[in-house]
Parts: sequence; C-alpha cells; structure tokens
Amino acid sequence: MSDYRVVGQSVKKIDAVDKVLGKAQFAADIQFDNMLYAKVFRSTVPHGILRSINIAKAEALAGVVSVLSGKDVPGANSAGIIVKDEPVLVKINEKIRKIGDPLALIAAETEEIAEKALELIEVEIEELPAVFDPLAAMTEAAPKLYDDGNVLAVRKIRKGDSQDAFGQCAVVVENEYRTQMTEHSYIEPEAGVARLDGDVLTIWVSTQNTHFDAKEVARNLKIGLDKVRVIQAATGGGFGGKLDISVQIHLGLLAMRTRRPVKLVYSRTESIINSSKRHPCIVKMKTGADNTGKLLAMECTIIGDTGAYASYGPGTLTRSAVHATGPYEVPHVTIDAYTVYTNNPTAGAMRGFGVPQVAFAHESQMDILAEKLGISPLQIRLQNAFRPGAVTATGAELTQSVGIVPTLEQTGAVAKTLIGDTCAAAKGTKKRGVGIGSMWYGIGNTGLPNPAGAYVNLLDDGTVLILTGCADIGQGSDTTLAQIAAEEFGINIEDIRVVSADTGVTPDGGASSASRQTYISGNAVRLAAQAAKKVLMETAASMLGVTPGEIVIGNKVLSVRNDYAQSPALTDCRTECRRDLGLTTRQKELSVGLVNCIAECRSTGKLTMGHGWFNPDTTGLNPDNGQGKPYATYAFATQIAEVEVDIESGEIEVIQIVAAHDVGKAVNPINIEGQIEGGCTMGLGYALTEEIKVNAGKILTNNLATYLIPTALDVPEVHSMIVEEPEETGPFGAKGVGEPSLIPTAAAIANAVYNAIGIRFTTLPITPEKVLAELQSL
Amino acid sequence: MNKETICFILNGQKTEVDVEPTLLLVDMLRNNLSLTGTKLGCGEGDCGACTVLLDGKMVNSCLILARQVDGHEVLTVEGLGTYDKLHPLQDAFIAEGAVQCGFCTPGMLLSAKALLDENPQPTRTQIARHISGNLCRCTGYAKIINAIEKVAKGQPV
Repeated sequence: MSDYRVVGQSVKKIDAVDKVLGKAQFAADIQFDNMLYAKVFRSTVPHGILRSINIAKAEALAGVVSVLSGKDVPGANSAGIIVKDEPVLVKINEKIRKIGDPLALIAAETEEIAEKALELIEVEIEELPAVFDPLAAMTEAAPKLYDDGNVLAVRKIRKGDSQDAFGQCAVVVENEYRTQMTEHSYIEPEAGVARLDGDVLTIWVSTQNTHFDAKEVARNLKIGLDKVRVIQAATGGGFGGKLDISVQIHLGLLAMRTRRPVKLVYSRTESIINSSKRHPCIVKMKTGADNTGKLLAMECTIIGDTGAYASYGPGTLTRSAVHATGPYEVPHVTIDAYTVYTNNPTAGAMRGFGVPQVAFAHESQMDILAEKLGISPLQIRLQNAFRPGAVTATGAELTQSVGIVPTLEQTGAVAKTLIGDTCAAAKGTKKRGVGIGSMWYGIGNTGLPNPAGAYVNLLDDGTVLILTGCADIGQGSDTTLAQIAAEEFGINIEDIRVVSADTGVTPDGGASSASRQTYISGNAVRLAAQAAKKVLMETAASMLGVTPGEIVIGNKVLSVRNDYAQSPALTDCRTECRRDLGLTTRQKELSVGLVNCIAECRSTGKLTMGHGWFNPDTTGLNPDNGQGKPYATYAFATQIAEVEVDIESGEIEVIQIVAAHDVGKAVNPINIEGQIEGGCTMGLGYALTEEIKVNAGKILTNNLATYLIPTALDVPEVHSMIVEEPEETGPFGAKGVGEPSLIPTAAAIANAVYNAIGIRFTTLPITPEKVLAELQSL
Repeated sequence: MNKETICFILNGQKTEVDVEPTLLLVDMLRNNLSLTGTKLGCGEGDCGACTVLLDGKMVNSCLILARQVDGHEVLTVEGLGTYDKLHPLQDAFIAEGAVQCGFCTPGMLLSAKALLDENPQPTRTQIARHISGNLCRCTGYAKIINAIEKVAKGQPV
C-alpha cells in the first residue's frame, strides 16, 4: 500500500498560495465595468398570498435600472434539488410559504441605491394561518402549505420482525430525542456575479454544484443550457448550504434584462435567513438487546421539519432512516422517517445529512443499554459493530472495507492512555467525564445514480490538465484529484493543473456533498488518466518493440519493465514481438521520454486525452420496506470525548477528543486531519452552543453575535487517527471523510456529560441553562 | 455628500483617497482601491474576516470609517507577502494545512502578525485567545494555531 509516490502524501493544497496572498477570487471580489448591484425584496410574513406588488416608486428612484417581479420570470419559476417547489419570485395570487420568500429584484447603479429602492416597494399580502410545529403540521386540521398536505415524504425500512423480537429482549430502552435547527455559518456569505456576453450568460458564484445551478438557471430563464455557463468562484465554505440555489437565477434574470453585469452579495443576516438549515428532528427510538448485550431489535420514528421547501429534505430523512441503527448489526428493524413541511425556514443538506441527529439517539441508547447490562460502552459497541458479512437494515451486505471495529479498538486504546483517570482531574465544582460516539456513513447519494465525469488531457510538454465538475469548497478536492492523476502518471503534482466546476468546460461532477467527491470524482479522474495513459503505453510499446503490458511509467519516462528489461531473453523477445507487430527491430532503447512519446502520439494521429466516468454501484430503496443497496461503500468512525462540567455555572468544556476515522486510503493525510479537526469543532458547536432560534417562522439568531459557532478558545485538543481499510472500488482504496468527522461528536459529548454528572440530555444543544436546570431538579 | 481627501500609508505606500464621510474602511479597501484580499463576512465585527492592521493593531475594517485612517498606517494582506516572497506566516499556514476555504485566512494572518509583533513568544493559549475574534468554520483552528506557533518558535515550516 505504501509504494505510492503522491497518494498518501500530505502535499500542500494547490490553491493555498492564492488564498494566503488574498488573491483567490471569491464571487464578491469580482468587479466589472458598468456593473450593477442587486438586492432582493423578501416576504416578512411566513404564510400568505401575494395579492399585489407596486414597484413604480422603486423604479422611479434615480439610479435604479431594473425592478423585476414574478411576472418577469420567463421560465418555470420554480427551483429545488429534489422537488421543484421553491418560487424564484412569488407571482401575484400565488403563495408565500416562509419569511424571506423573494418577491422582487432590484438592480441599481450602487448597492446603497438598491437598498433604498427596497423600501419603496409596496406589497399586499393576504396572511394565512401558519404552522410551525412539525407534529401539528402532520395533523389533518393543520394549515396546509401545499395541496397534497404537509407530509412530503415517508421513508420506511423493515427488516425482520421487530415486534416479535422485542419479546425476546432482556433489556429494552425507549426514549425521545430532539435536535435543534442549526446553520452552516460558512464565513463567506452567498455571492455571485452575472454577465451576458452575446447570447451566453456567465454566472460566477459561490456554490457546491455548478451543473445543477446551470440547469436551474436555464429552466427558469427559458434559455438553452448551452447558453448558460456557471463558474464556481473561490467558495468560502459550503457544508451543504451552498447546494441550494441562492443568487444564481436572480442574477441571471437581472443580467438578461439589463444586459449589464450584475452583482448580488448577501449580508450575513440575509444569508442566515435564506439559506437552508440542518433539520431539527424528533427521534423516537426503542432499542432492545439480549442479556449479553447483543442487539436484537430497534424501532425508530424520525420526524424532520424541512420548513417551507423541500431542498434536500427527503434525501436527508432517507439517510437518517438508513443510518438509524448506527454501525451495528440489528436483525429486526422498523424505521419510519417523515419529511414534514412547516412555515419555518427551509432545512436541507448540512454536513452529516440527517445522520448526526440519529447518531445522537443511537449512541445515547447504546450507553443506556450498556449501563443496564453492566457492560462497558466500548464493549457493547464492539459486540454489535458491523464486520465483513454483516447485513444492514436495508438488507445490504457489507463485504469489505468495514472499518468500524478498528476505530473502536484504536480510540479505546489511545483514550485510555491520553485521558487516564478523569475523575482524578476533577477539582472543586468541576466534574470530568468521558463519552464515546460511533458512526457509519454511506458515501454518495442514497440509492440513486450519482455519477461524475472527468477529462484528463496530457499536454505536449508532459504536464497535465484535469477538467472536473467537482467543486472545491475548501475541503481540498482539487488537490486530492491532482494527487490521484499524478500517481497514475508518475509525475509530480506541480505538473498538474486542475480546472474545476465550470459548466462551460468541465463535465458534470455532481454535487460536492455526501462526502462523495474523493470516491466518485476521484475514480472518474483516475479512469480518465488511465485512458490517456493507455494511449501513451501503446505508443511507447510500439516505439520500444514490446507489448503495452511491459511498459511502466514514472518520472516522465516510459520504460520497459525492470524484470523484463533485465531478462536475458529480452533481445529475442523484443525481436519476436516487433515481428509480431509487423515492425522492424530498428532500436534497442529500453525507454522513451514522456514528451517524445506524446510527440509520437501526435505524429501518429492519437490524442493523449482520456475521459472517465464513475457511478457508484447502488440500487434504489424499495418504497415499502426500504430494502436495497443504497451505497457502494461506507465510512466508519469512533470519537471519544473528555469533558469538564462546572456544576456551579453549568458550563461544559470539552477537554479533548480522540477521533479515529476509517477513510479507506488517506490520499492527503494533513487534509484529512483538517477535516477531522474541523468536523469535531462543528460537532462541538452542535452539541453545546449552536441553535437557530425561530419564533413564528422568524429567525431570532440572525447574526454571528447570537448564533454561536466555536471560536479558537472553545476547541479541545483533537487527536486525529486515520484508519485505512482500503475500499476495493475506491481510487487507490479511498472513501471519504468530510461529513463523518462531525457525525459522532455531539453524541460522544452528550455521553461524556452523562459520565461526568449522571444526567442524560435527550435534547441538543446542552446549554449551561439546561445543565443548571437539571442539576437543580435532582 | 461632501467628499474629503484622506492621506495615509497603505502597505508601505503613501496613499490618497477621496472618501465620503460614511465610507467604511473595508469598502474603501475593496471598492475604491480594489484590494479585495480583505474579506467581508458579517459587517458587524463578529467574524474578523475583515481584520487589517491599523498602526500595527488589529481592527475590524467593517467597524472603522475610512476617514479614521487619515494620517495613519494600514496593513492589509496585500502588503504581507508576494508570490516571490511569502511572509513566514503565509508559508507556515500553507505548510501546516491551516488553509481550507481561505475566506478567513487574510484576516487570520493579520491577526497573527499583530500578536507576534507584540508578543513574539506566545503560548498556545495566548494564540487561541488572540485569534478568538477571527472565526473559522473549516479548520477547527488547530492547524492555524500550529502555524502561528511554528513561526513564533522560528521553526522551519
């Protein structure tokens, strides 16, 4: 495994120099002559019907160039990743379903003028009764957001007979868990610039999926997809929140109308109000085991509030359902997951995609079971953890690259040394505790085809151009993909340039979501590189008088394989071989330079270019029982957290986290550590401080002073441990890590808090107020 | 509005700009002077992405009026290093993996510089406290602190 040259090395991120110099161009940094500035006029009511809109005064304001409303949307006037339910601009007599729904657009000579014009737009909205509680929304009597009712999707998983199996359990634990709405809080708010050149509309935007964006723009502007080019600008974080449409279509409409470049940059508050959120979930979970701790049955109902629009909601709740057992084999399972519309802010994809919610539940359940049975939390997990041959709740057999056991064993061992006797460290009002959390995570979209393509072009001087649709949002995919191609060609990463996420030139890579790009675009790039390499190998073989199988490539040289070159029979063989190929034995060289070989390709009419296409092997889930093979491969992880709870103030400090992640093969270890440290930190925020508070559909925590993400003072020491259980179908064995890094953290912290003070919290976040209230009620 | 001319040292160069009295420093840098390395993340002083150095001290350029820098010295990321000669902090941020999305990076670098100029040998806790006004959502801060510590200790990066 270790004989790779570039894969497995912590090479420097290829975009880092531009970023430390402040030269990386984010969308808000793009400036064009004659550019206009856009603002969006939005609804302040959560549910209603737009009866009229008067833009005359806004249009009359000096410096305002264009004001558009719903009637100006030429195309579908609907956007959405799974369901096209979100209006681009609400039309007259159509529905408003949440605060922030866009009603009009303004383009003006300056941002200040555009802002002033917002105040001049007048609307009449007939308010409708609204519903903000997902349980209430599921009742017949609830106000309906859509004619079909408020339950958007139900995902059922049935395996075995859970009802019968509970009768055989020695211990059964049943609890209801509630998790909060959270915000991605990327530091860069949404931004974009659009420009019309001839009849081609180009949009530079902060995004996780340019190819989706282009399709939504084309549908809504009613123009050909060939006339839309979406280019990802440097993107200041995404975490799932930049998968939805934000500024793209609005910019397109204004640029088409004004025929001038237009820029739209969200303020922080606008970003928080309008971007999708992590689903707040109610998770009712019943788990049973025999008297040895072997899990026998689980029943689980999950209700996810997806707010006013679907976004990734049904996909998120499906993923919750599929992962609800945790990384454990449970023979009898009944799971129902509901995606429910309300008039709350839209919830969609956020790092973990529905799994952190269920991980909080299943990991709490495991600890409660262990305590009842008198066994350790580590033991009950080891006893039930997936091993090769295990069958998941959806009936998928895990055959290889099943790394949950090593993550348990390694974190367990390291935590013992690092954390030692935590009780001894506790002083005065401070109590220490240790908790464990494990997770599994399917790589790629759930039970759906989700292919990625790539082109790899070997240039005349032996350098390489990769064209990939994969958006690098900071996680480092450009670097990872370059490493994969470099390894394949045996060249250095400095000789590779990556052009990513530009619909004008790159093939569709699908979304940078679901921790899928290393595995899927990584495979696409590798296959493309192999295709280009094949042309080279064949040409070199012909030049050297051997067969392509006898050629190796490295250090910009194609050579006859060592074992073969050293063989005494070489000359004879080569002669024969060349005769077989109809060639004369005109040379005795054992190698040819890469550049010469490329030149030979050219002169013989061959292009040294390859395309690769990879679609993970999945099957759809049966709608009645959820059976199927939703993913081709899974990542696994275990984290152990040490916390200190101050019983006087209720404050919880996370002292350290030991985090072991099975990533298949670590293509770039330092980047993976960065993902783990960043994920643990976001998970810490999820556990302790972060909550989007909503009152009657209105977000109260609409800035970074009230929505509290961890600062440098809040983070624990994170001990990252990379576990490599190579995935047979992964590029060099790689899987993914982006989301797994966050998933078990909150669960581990909650279990550590229980260990410290004996109080089990079933709701997140665990704030000092909640801790004090519980302590006082003891 | 009446514009006034302000004169200050920007990244070592004497600079004159005609500014409106309400113009913010961040907007002058980004819009009037096209120095877009300084990022705007919240406009309320909460995130630190717009951090620049004013007479060597870090400030949120979204909370300062452009006219307040009249007669003073401002350092932005554009004055920190170049492609040919990166500042040691820039080298360290790259080598230590402290850069992910890069949006907080310019502000973080200037914050780090202000610290090291004042306290060349900070502890990890002092570093963490100093950069606690610069939010990063990607890295979890560990590698940023590592990078600053490496430079402080004069270790090769």
